[in-house]
Amino acid sequence: MRFVFALAACLPSFAFADAQAVIDQHITPGYAKFAETASQLAETARNDCGPEAVLPAYHDTFDAWLGVSHITFGPVEKDGRGFAISFWPDPKDRVAKGIGRLVSVQDPVVNDPEAFASVSVAAQGLNALERLLIEPPEDADYACALVQAVSTALARNAATLNQEWPEYAALMVSPGNARFQSAEEVDRAIYTALSTGLEFLYDARLGRPLGTFDRPRPRRAETYRSARAQRNVVLNLAALQDLTMHFADTETPETMLHFETALTRAEALDDPDFSGVANPGKRIKIESIQSTVRELRIAVDAEIGAPMGISAGFNALDGD
Amino acid sequence: MQSRRGFLRGALATAALPATSWASVGNPSHLSAAQDPSGDYALYGLREDGTRAFRVSLPQRGHAAAAHPSAPEAVAFARRPGTFALVLDCSDGHVQHRLDAPEGHHFYGHGAFSADGAFLFTTENHVATGRGIVGVWDRASGYARIDQISSHGIGPHEIIRMPDGGLAVANGGIRTHPDTGRQKLNLETMRPNLAILDRNGRLSDLADVPGELHMNSLRHISVQAQGRVACGFQWQGDPFDTPALLAIYGAQGLEFIEFEEGLSQRMKGYIGSVGWLDTRQVLVSSPRGGLLINYDSMTGASVISRLDDVCGVAASTTGGLATDGLGRLHAVSGKQNVTLASYPLAFDNHLIRIGTA
Repeated sequence: MRFVFALAACLPSFAFADAQAVIDQHITPGYAKFAETASQLAETARNDCGPEAVLPAYHDTFDAWLGVSHITFGPVEKDGRGFAISFWPDPKDRVAKGIGRLVSVQDPVVNDPEAFASVSVAAQGLNALERLLIEPPEDADYACALVQAVSTALARNAATLNQEWPEYAALMVSPGNARFQSAEEVDRAIYTALSTGLEFLYDARLGRPLGTFDRPRPRRAETYRSARAQRNVVLNLAALQDLTMHFADTETPETMLHFETALTRAEALDDPDFSGVANPGKRIKIESIQSTVRELRIAVDAEIGAPMGISAGFNALDGD
Repeated sequence: MQSRRGFLRGALATAALPATSWASVGNPSHLSAAQDPSGDYALYGLREDGTRAFRVSLPQRGHAAAAHPSAPEAVAFARRPGTFALVLDCSDGHVQHRLDAPEGHHFYGHGAFSADGAFLFTTENHVATGRGIVGVWDRASGYARIDQISSHGIGPHEIIRMPDGGLAVANGGIRTHPDTGRQKLNLETMRPNLAILDRNGRLSDLADVPGELHMNSLRHISVQAQGRVACGFQWQGDPFDTPALLAIYGAQGLEFIEFEEGLSQRMKGYIGSVGWLDTRQVLVSSPRGGLLINYDSMTGASVISRLDDVCGVAASTTGGLATDGLGRLHAVSGKQNVTLASYPLAFDNHLIRIGTA
């Protein structure tokens, strides 16, 4: 008795998804924008490493990163590059430890971009830069060199992603290679990025600062130091909505409704650093964003995942 | 005591040869439970070329199976906290025996045979006390329950046979009660360990998980020829503070393996299965991260591949095999994975190599 079934014969059609549109209109321009802003950041820091000068470029770069931070496949998977760009959540404060180690010995590695790529990833990215700009080390000269080194590392990493992306995109456009054996796998990878992006928004960006009613955790909010926790939620939502619009070929009314509701609520919030999680009146507004994101996840599952024949993993969902 | 517990000592000489063999059911090399497209559950015999040797129905979703070393008999365990296991004749699927957990016990979903196939060992919870138990069942007397020994921990999960004929038990450390399903009752105080039992069933070593990692629940284990045990953990603490999830037990106790930056987080703090491919490479599955990691314990290097919903891993004659919830069976050797077959099935958590468990 031998049975071999072709995969395509037993799965529903997956004409619902448009990987090409996601690549051309979402990911490729997203990486280009990130590379451009990070390059500007490095140039700005080279000319003037003071926080006043660098902060706007930091914000621009972070904004651009949020356009692609949910893309979990591709060159970003290699060598922990994603963590070298953004190291959060960071419950052990490894950003501070990574910076502290460099500062304590005035490590000359800051002068060598090649070598700097091998320091702790927690000290290389946007979260390290935020720390250096908002809570600068005492030694102004070394602090300046660090700001420049981190900005340069970000520019190099962003440029690498932007350069390597087209080669990876080609694998997605023409499946039947070692990475993507079928179009179904391509769709699944994109769908997974969407669903894990929403999960991260729910659990981490909103869930960590919310903590519990009795124990809110404002200091667990992402980038509260630079007061951009709220902004990150808005941009993260917008990026996931953009991904969804390019990805889904069918009407997704529930999904779009919840995206709009969540975005409206997140934009209306007047709580840039999410310190409001500890204030009952403000907290309820952040909770309402979180519950909309929960509805959104259910809608994405039903309107996009199910028609494509993608459901949460048999083993991933229910292991032991 | 010792004579009564001679079950682990080389009973090989007295073991009767079974009348039928695995060859009579199509020569499978591996077993896996799976969900059929109809939603029904079954146990499949698989061959290393990706073909299927047999299918026998299961009454409900399975977890792991134990394969008799020589006779075409498989013991299928209900999922935790199940109270029964079925001994299936893989030639026609009929239930030869039904094992009921003793009153007040439940199974954890894993079991292992003695090398000669005369005894089956099962991991169990003594519900009233939460103590972990290894149940001993005698095949010759129709899988009668003949004994039980301590697992030396709480929440024993996978149990395997050691090369010297003893046993290794992964005590996950988590206490649960059937009344509250899988709810974890003791996360603050849990202390997982790896218990090594000698051929008399006596404790020969207990490798505790160090205090700062006490919330790292040991679930799945695999042993290589020299007796080194690969240990796969499931982290119960802050998911963004995930420690090492793989450890290798040897003469120095548990040695935790740090993967590359961020990998434990990408694995969502959860290893689904571990399996040595030889004395040096360990295959580790992360169903939640969709990752399969081939770790070389000699060089410390790891090869990471993306495989959605991958969970079952086991050695094969050419390297290793991995199964996933999308019905695919992959051959793993060195750096390259090759998909051998895609079935309209969802392979369940574990892939069992016949002859090892």
